[in-house]
Amino acid sequence: MMEDRIVLKIENVSHEFNGHPVLHEVNLDIVRGEIVGLVGPSGCGKSTLLRAVLGTHPPRKGEVSVYSSRRNGGGNARRMIVRGPGRDRGIVYQQYSLFPFLTARENVAFGLMLDETSIPGRLFRYFKWRALRKKHLERAEQLLEQVELGHAGLLYPSEMSGGMRQRVAVAQALIMKPEVVLLDEPFGALDEATREDLQRMLLRLYQENLDARKKGEAPPYTILIVTHEISEAIYVGDRVVGLSQYWDWKSEGFQECPGATVVYDRVAPVEEPGGPRHYENYERQRAEIRERVFEPKTAANPKEGRLFWDEVAAGKGQGILQ
Amino acid sequence: MTPSHKIALGATAIVALISAYTYLSHRQHRINPEDKTIPNWTQLREGLGKIAEVNHRSGDRWLVTDAQATGTRLFLGLGCGIASALLLGMLMGCLAPVEAFFYPPLALLAKLPPTAMLAVFFVLAGTETKMYVAMIAFGVLPTLAQTVFLAVKDVPDESRYKAYTLGASHIEVIWNVVFRMVLPRLIDSIRLQIGPAMVYLIAAEMVVGDVGFGYRIRLQSKLLNMDVVYPYLAILAVFGFTMDSMLFRLQRLASPWYAKEGK
Repeated sequence: MMEDRIVLKIENVSHEFNGHPVLHEVNLDIVRGEIVGLVGPSGCGKSTLLRAVLGTHPPRKGEVSVYSSRRNGGGNARRMIVRGPGRDRGIVYQQYSLFPFLTARENVAFGLMLDETSIPGRLFRYFKWRALRKKHLERAEQLLEQVELGHAGLLYPSEMSGGMRQRVAVAQALIMKPEVVLLDEPFGALDEATREDLQRMLLRLYQENLDARKKGEAPPYTILIVTHEISEAIYVGDRVVGLSQYWDWKSEGFQECPGATVVYDRVAPVEEPGGPRHYENYERQRAEIRERVFEPKTAANPKEGRLFWDEVAAGKGQGILQ
Repeated sequence: MTPSHKIALGATAIVALISAYTYLSHRQHRINPEDKTIPNWTQLREGLGKIAEVNHRSGDRWLVTDAQATGTRLFLGLGCGIASALLLGMLMGCLAPVEAFFYPPLALLAKLPPTAMLAVFFVLAGTETKMYVAMIAFGVLPTLAQTVFLAVKDVPDESRYKAYTLGASHIEVIWNVVFRMVLPRLIDSIRLQIGPAMVYLIAAEMVVGDVGFGYRIRLQSKLLNMDVVYPYLAILAVFGFTMDSMLFRLQRLASPWYAKEGK
């Protein structure tokens, strides 16, 4: 059952800043192996929701939980309620994801060092740490090859282009094998061609998910990507979620808008990383998203836009959702 | 401008300085062959002899005893100042209550010249090394602590959050992320504080010292023994320059990324 494959659960999350409501009872379940594109008008609270998932800014109400792939004895996934940032959720920001004082491969290996060793361990068992360090750097090099940056291991972030930096940042997050990787407008500052390269990189990761599923294994990468571009969400994701403050809160008895909520949630077509882009095929879905999510005059019932689970039940999901 | 042009111009300036001195000294000695105010090179060599050779009255070498005294005071003072500034600045940057508590007194202390407080250190710590150390440490503390504090504040939140998602502990975030980003800026600030630290020390030695560079310069100036004073000044200049370039190299070695960001 699809419900058993859920890796991230957002339940009734509401948030406000200084009495100004931002999020209103957001509910979202993400299936392991999905790439979910999260879109919404600016100021709708996409980043606030992402921070709640990351744990750096806990929501006022509701909770976020992560289901670990490392199963306990009963065969059930272990549920962990998010209380702060942790190694089970990776993050790639638009900027500042990389540490400026580390080279590309050191940046990628940084997580292995922090996670597997401690300061006293590195100090008092220096030679053991040196040997381990070598293995970490080798693993980092391998991962850099995977994002096509095998040649750039010794460069510092200030010596890399924006696209290279974001590739390294993705590798840096993936090396931890987190349950979910959060991407916060990761390609927003890049030029068109570079952005398309990086989108294809995400689709290649998705192909690895499909391969793993064919072999009966758990898909390794689950990605939640926040973007302001509808096309990017449809192209990269197998599911698009729209967060918006424009919905019919009046009929629920509110005097003013109680915050943004999920007003759109549907499956999206799965693309091949090497194949051509058919933006014209997205036209219907784009128009629908623009009307339901981005149009201030819309006062639709948000439930009418949340068709994802019905679509999956009807077998309309593609890729990992089949 | 090519690098070789740069070096040539710099060398020319030094040569011009030495030539001008030689000319001035030569002109003065034509008027008064016994002149001591602008000693010629022979007199300076004699002066160097006085400094470096065993003194017949005290039984030791001025240069050795003075350098030992002044060096100990300076390095201990700077060391204490840097260590406490680092600790204080990091704590202020990481913990809001510490910032609120220490910022006002630090801002006040920063405006107080340590040489003016000499009597306070004298009363509290006597005239031994301890007094000089306390004075230098207090002198450099406010600026260095503020540098560290501001550098900690400049570390983006994203870097800290990112480190936590990579499995870092609180201590690792401070040591492996924040400190790494603060270090080059601390070294920059130390380079700028060596000058003031030497000013405080020499001034204090001139007032209350019985050994050290400041003491010797004051004494020999009074006797108008410029053949001793000028070599001492030259040694101070070379020492300061060496310290500065060593710190610069240390920074390039410890934080190679810093230069690549164009700073």
